[in-house]
Amino acid sequence: MRIGAPKETSRGEARVALTPESAKQIQKLGHECLIETGAGLAAGFNDDTYRDAGVTVVDSADALWQDAEVVIKVREPSDSEAARLREGQTLIAFFWPAQNEALLEKCKAQGASVIAMDMVPRISRAQKMDALSSMANIAGYRAVIEAGNNFGRFFTGQVTAAGKVPPAKVLVIGAGVAGLAAIGTATSLGAVVRAFDVRPEVSEQIESMGAEFLFLDFADSEDSQDGSESGGYASPSSPEFREKQLACFREQAPDVDIVITTALIPGRPAPKLWLEDMVAAMKPGSVIIDLAAEKGGNCDLTQPDERVVSDNGVIVVGYTDFPSRMATQSSLLYATNIRHMLTDLTPEKDGVINHNMDDDVIRGATVTHQNEVTFPPPPPKVKAIAAAKPKKKEKEPTPEEKKTTEAAAFKAQTKRQVGILAIGGALMLLLGQVAPASFMQHFIVFVLACFIGFQVIWKVSHSLHTPLMAVTNAISGIIILGAILQIGSGSAVVSVLAAISVLIATINIVGGFLVTRRMLAMFQKS
Amino acid sequence: MLGQGFVSAAAIAASVLFILSLGGLSNQEKAKRAVWYGIVGMAVAVFFTALGPGIGGYWWLIPMMIIGAGIGTYMAGKVEMTEMPQLVAALHSFVGLAAVFVAWSADLERRRVLAARAADGVMQEFSAFAALVATKAPDELTFLQIEVVLGIFIGAVTFTGSVIAFGKLAGKVDGKPRQLPGGHLLNAGAAVLSLLLAVLYLNGAGFWTLIVLAALAFFIGYHLIMGIGGADMPVVVSMLNSYSGWAAAAIGFTLGNDLLIVTGALVGSSGAILSYIMCKAMNRNFVNVILGGFGGSTGPAAEIEGEQVAIDAGGVASALNDADSVVIVPGYGMAVAQAQSAVSDLVRKLRAAGKNVRFGIHPVAGRLPGHMNVLLAEAKVPYDIVLEMDEINDDFTSTDVVIVIGSNDIVNPAAEEDPNSPIAGMPVLKVWEAKQVFICKRGQGTGYSGIENPLFFKENSRMFYGDARDSLNALLPLVD
Repeated sequence: MRIGAPKETSRGEARVALTPESAKQIQKLGHECLIETGAGLAAGFNDDTYRDAGVTVVDSADALWQDAEVVIKVREPSDSEAARLREGQTLIAFFWPAQNEALLEKCKAQGASVIAMDMVPRISRAQKMDALSSMANIAGYRAVIEAGNNFGRFFTGQVTAAGKVPPAKVLVIGAGVAGLAAIGTATSLGAVVRAFDVRPEVSEQIESMGAEFLFLDFADSEDSQDGSESGGYASPSSPEFREKQLACFREQAPDVDIVITTALIPGRPAPKLWLEDMVAAMKPGSVIIDLAAEKGGNCDLTQPDERVVSDNGVIVVGYTDFPSRMATQSSLLYATNIRHMLTDLTPEKDGVINHNMDDDVIRGATVTHQNEVTFPPPPPKVKAIAAAKPKKKEKEPTPEEKKTTEAAAFKAQTKRQVGILAIGGALMLLLGQVAPASFMQHFIVFVLACFIGFQVIWKVSHSLHTPLMAVTNAISGIIILGAILQIGSGSAVVSVLAAISVLIATINIVGGFLVTRRMLAMFQKS
Repeated sequence: MLGQGFVSAAAIAASVLFILSLGGLSNQEKAKRAVWYGIVGMAVAVFFTALGPGIGGYWWLIPMMIIGAGIGTYMAGKVEMTEMPQLVAALHSFVGLAAVFVAWSADLERRRVLAARAADGVMQEFSAFAALVATKAPDELTFLQIEVVLGIFIGAVTFTGSVIAFGKLAGKVDGKPRQLPGGHLLNAGAAVLSLLLAVLYLNGAGFWTLIVLAALAFFIGYHLIMGIGGADMPVVVSMLNSYSGWAAAAIGFTLGNDLLIVTGALVGSSGAILSYIMCKAMNRNFVNVILGGFGGSTGPAAEIEGEQVAIDAGGVASALNDADSVVIVPGYGMAVAQAQSAVSDLVRKLRAAGKNVRFGIHPVAGRLPGHMNVLLAEAKVPYDIVLEMDEINDDFTSTDVVIVIGSNDIVNPAAEEDPNSPIAGMPVLKVWEAKQVFICKRGQGTGYSGIENPLFFKENSRMFYGDARDSLNALLPLVD
């Protein structure tokens, strides 16, 4: 099949769906790659590097749309592009079918199959083609860089000869892929990062990235929804919860220097979380990066695609093209996502596309196929996230409680020890009544030896357990003494038995010690 | 001939040396000296006992010791470090068998003395142990009989148990738990029968009782260990170690020899503690391990979702090249594949590149307590980068790459996450908290315990299929 990537037509879009690297991989699947001339220029790939990778460079968009059987793109097709689609052609791109119904109808009418990269289901197997995540990752990174660009101070705290610099305090709202990427970038720059998300189960991920999770003490646990049910996305929250949340942000506003908001709810306008009064409460020179600007923004002041400055000098950045601002990186990742999609579409690696509608991933991402609209897809057979097990937070015991439990444990232990000692003592007494004196003498030795054994062995290090076994094994060959004591007996049978015992006990002793020495000689310090 | 005073002094010296020898194993450097304490202690004990009063029989003694020493040296020199568990098990069986023989002899001597007494009532000259028996009062002789019974029973169980453990570890006997119809009822029956025989013997029945007793105990040892699976062998071997000690102590009582008692008790408690540590590391009850098999699981195991994603050597190598901190978790599979030297080469290369490479060892990894440490030491991995589970478990969150080589259950997250799993509650190495986990494994399939491992399905896990040694050798040239 011929796979073709046209130049993106929408204004300001610098990404490209095919990179020289991904082209090589796609060719391995048995496909042929085409690219419109200059398509990769904005992302840093010129035509020659494509040619070197074995890609045919086509002179015009028309020729490409004519020639390619599968068209791969970044943005959804424009009307004129949609008109170029033809029967049997496949289009792979971001499509946003829920928002673009007219476009969907048009594509269906043209008879093309459309695979929407934004509809790839969020299951483990499909992660490699989850372009939303890879783009969100870049957006999160870029948001921090953008914030640093607009922020007048260091991220990291320093003590220099010219004075002390406090670290920047960053608040990240919404810990999806973008939020987590932002947390990671900001912490590695040295900022103090706090993060909030309505899904309490992501607190672990937030903490693993090195940020502090702002925990809302919200009693109604029914409301804190289980993220796994909505496919790993957040869902709208109740008014009470929202109030609590805003109060928490209001508290943070005067303290933080940089706010990065990434809160989005699928299929709805972005929730307003950073209100005007919070902006007013912030220090002059603070920066707000609103990654939700395309959906209306999380901040009251956000203007999509604009950088505005509030009355008190707070900078609000509402760019919507963060991934495109890092076109090389995002093209590389997006092209890899596309390449993985093509790999799944070409299971035999023979250059033949097998549009398998029984496959969860392909079915989920396909929005039109064979003159039919196949959106929305049925729920996938595999759940996005394994059903989360309810985790009960254990209450920290108060110091008094701790003390009482400790005291109780101590008491119980004392009781048990005294009990064992009493029973042991009684047994000894009984034994002493019946046993001859010589036996009791030996018994004392035995008991003391057991005690010494227990004390000594606990100190042996784990790594030396095998040598320990070999040594104890060799030492237990002490049974040879028994045989030696008997070997001089007048009875022939006894002498023979004792002789055999001497033989095998000696094997044991010598073998045990030698092998231990061999082992210990191997232990070396670096 | 040396006097009794010399022998006693030697016994005290030997006891102290043995205690120092065991105590010295607390760290690797001291351990090298500690072995010498043990050797000297043993030499002192044997030499002075042999030269003690009324021993004799040197024409038997010396050749036997020379032959035994020869065989022992040969075995110790030839054994591969991966075969350590077998060797230890085999050596235990010798102690068990010797205990049985010595106890039998003791009873034969007792009978001889009694017969002589009954015959003429006059004390005739006895040599060796018989002379000691001749001085005993009747109640002391009764106790001697009890001690003989204990010595025979424990010794015999140790003998057959160790032989079977040896067979299982060496792969000569099928590793799966297997029992005769009747299961533990047979063991219980044999134990009850043994008790009956013991009572008969104490009431004056003939020597045959002791032979039958030994036979029954042989059966119990055989059947008990046959019923235990290969994965539980660390516990079994340390338990048998303990038994061999108790057998020696019992013989010590019989012969009235304090050195035997002390040493037996030391070995016995050492084995008992090791078994306890192993059981705790598997979160299982000692009785549960010995009586065989996993208990029935309490509910359906949580379903595992996702798929196992394979990766090739190139992928692993590039991840390793990017990583700063690497933890390697070896298991029995590494021993089977003889991959320790390949692992060592890899570690040397990674360390030369300035990466922080460490090993995480689970207490029950391998088939013998501390088995992995010995294998890694053999391959010249420095011991200060080989860490215990507790030392390394908190570091996984800050680890870039974990390589799991041939271990399965000890890295199974089900132990923590799934209360219905048969290994629920067992402490495990939390490798899944690292950024990436590569699992070096022969193929898909469950581990020794037959439990599905959700680790393999985690998003940050990649399966590196193939024989461990071949895979690592393929990996080596790609790492720089």
